[in-house]
Amino acid sequence: MYQYDQFDHAMVAARNAEFKDQVERRLKGELSEDQFKPLRLMNGLYLQLHAYMLRIAVPYGVLSSRQMRTFAHIARTYDRDFGHFTTRQNIQFNWIKLADTPQILEDLAAVEMHAIQTSGNCIRNTTTDQFAGAARDEIDDPRPWAELIRQWSTFHPEFTFLPRKFKIAITGATRDRAAIRVHDIGLQLTDKGFDVYVGGGMGRTPHLGHLIKSGLPGEKLLSYLEAALRVYNRYGRRDNIYKARIKILVSALGPQEYARQVEEEWATLDQAQIDAPHAEIARIKSFFPQPAYADKAFDAAALDRAKAADAGFARWVRNNTLAHRRDDHVSVTISLKPTGLPPGDASSAQMDVMADAADRFGYGELRVSHEQNIILPHVAKADLYDLYRLLDQNGLSSANVGKITDMIACPGLDYCSLANARSIPLAQDISQRFADAELTDKIGDLQIKISGCINACGHHHVGHIGILGVDKQGEEFYQILLGGRADEQAALGVITGKGLSAEAVPAALERLIKLYLDLRTDETERFIDTVGRLGRDAFAGALHEPA
Amino acid sequence: MSQLNSSHAPQLVSDQGEVRANGWTLLADDEAIGVDQAVLSFARAVNELDGLNGRYGVRIAPGDDVRLLTPFMSKIALIEVAFPGYRDGRGYSTARILRQDLGFDGEIRAVGDVLRDQLFWMMRCGFDSFLLKDADPAGAIKYARSLYINAYQSAADGLKPVWALRHPA
Repeated sequence: MYQYDQFDHAMVAARNAEFKDQVERRLKGELSEDQFKPLRLMNGLYLQLHAYMLRIAVPYGVLSSRQMRTFAHIARTYDRDFGHFTTRQNIQFNWIKLADTPQILEDLAAVEMHAIQTSGNCIRNTTTDQFAGAARDEIDDPRPWAELIRQWSTFHPEFTFLPRKFKIAITGATRDRAAIRVHDIGLQLTDKGFDVYVGGGMGRTPHLGHLIKSGLPGEKLLSYLEAALRVYNRYGRRDNIYKARIKILVSALGPQEYARQVEEEWATLDQAQIDAPHAEIARIKSFFPQPAYADKAFDAAALDRAKAADAGFARWVRNNTLAHRRDDHVSVTISLKPTGLPPGDASSAQMDVMADAADRFGYGELRVSHEQNIILPHVAKADLYDLYRLLDQNGLSSANVGKITDMIACPGLDYCSLANARSIPLAQDISQRFADAELTDKIGDLQIKISGCINACGHHHVGHIGILGVDKQGEEFYQILLGGRADEQAALGVITGKGLSAEAVPAALERLIKLYLDLRTDETERFIDTVGRLGRDAFAGALHEPA
Repeated sequence: MSQLNSSHAPQLVSDQGEVRANGWTLLADDEAIGVDQAVLSFARAVNELDGLNGRYGVRIAPGDDVRLLTPFMSKIALIEVAFPGYRDGRGYSTARILRQDLGFDGEIRAVGDVLRDQLFWMMRCGFDSFLLKDADPAGAIKYARSLYINAYQSAADGLKPVWALRHPA
């Protein structure tokens, strides 16, 4: 993975010194909370309902075991012994004391991490495929390009006060696991360069991104992005926070006109001054080699015997591993969605275990997925059973990846000052309702995504089943959306049926699922496919109690 | 540090930290151009500069398209870029377009809600003077200049991006 040189270290150290000074002035009362707010927001520090929350950037979701151990240390020392992995492939600590933040940032800097641009109306952490560099369907590795964008966008002087936050996602595979069509800019790496999608997003007015450029050479990526951001910075709406994202501009201008303006702006730029030269791209690429694969003799018969003897292991292998570019390896997803616990949370002890697992079985490397799970991208098949047992002993062997209980949920009303409704307790209720492993496997691939308000941090627009919490005259209600998906066939879900109380949701889902099981052609037809074949209306009735 | 909601009277300071008197006067659109160093509104500049002699100042609001001033560059000595609120970042693009596209070499001044925590970005985009509501304008410039030695990207200040330092030509 990427390693800092003296320039990267100096940049983070300078920011930390600046922020330490700002925190000291706030603690001494020289800055009011009003004055401090824009400064702390430049550094990922939010004031939530009960405490400060610190959001730490995990660049494009890639972590070393050492960095994971630092998260464990932060959880233990400065928080309530746990952390929350987010849909932006970052981590949040929800119970932080302001006075501790300079020391936390120093601890992070020691392992080449920071909280820069994890909040504010700037270019946020670029996200990518959690299986980058490992997946069998990969065309090209997106990580070096994400690192190039990280550096270019860090403290970009022109784009620090954009109309609104700006999120870029890249995928280099044929299957889109990075949800690029619901990002401000989505980049698809092909063998001819980048396809550029713009104007996707969720929130209260969801849009799918439009293709505005094909075959953009990687060497020109930064100057093109600079032109795209400049057009947005100049013409994006600033009169209404809910209409300020680039999707509104692109939709008002039309994608073709926006693309034309970007081309025009691009032509005015001194591209040679903006685009990093080939030598720099090669330098960054050199940090992302394939691991030094261990040639461990893999005994397929032994794996079969272990699966036959241990049904839990068999299920875990079936659901939590993905084909690797090498036949003798797989990528393993560690589910952070155990029955009845908040999605994406991990204790300090679990973080340490995951770091140990990465060191023993995964070449020291981990990833965070936007589905809020942790990935070991490269695991020798010969090590699978030992890895499983280590995880199982530590409550980390939930075998539900991609299944109905592998939900995305925002923090909701339990933490967030914007929320209208709780998300986490609802996710817990649903996971309890569908805790039966056999039933879960029978249902097959199904993504539930829950947002506690219309801002859609829980991605409800692109859940096969989306759940949106709303406030109706002081009461929490939930609307159900059907048919959304964030993959290469991205689609937005549509609200189906009437709003439900929190208590009514799990039973409604149960009726919905039962109907799906009755209607599907066979077990290879996934829920989303059946909804696509029969239409959402065929399922609307099931959401409500029969009269 | 930050001077939000500051009650200090604005003072003019250069990007080198020199505090000086402001000789320029912003004219109302119906006011005759009777003074030296007159600052015209953007609309007036676009409509009238063609028929005027001498060099003027122009006040640009966030929504104005600075490229409409392209034909008049030689008649403009000062461009005041207005920041009605510090969160409105359009002025940063305005300054870079002036410096790097239109080749403007006069003074670019930030006026309005300008905070010392933003001066670093502004200087990088090509601003070289600031009307600052800060108790210590010279100190604010010194502070902004002390923050970062390098930058990851090139802008309008001639600072070489880090990649150029990594790969000297």
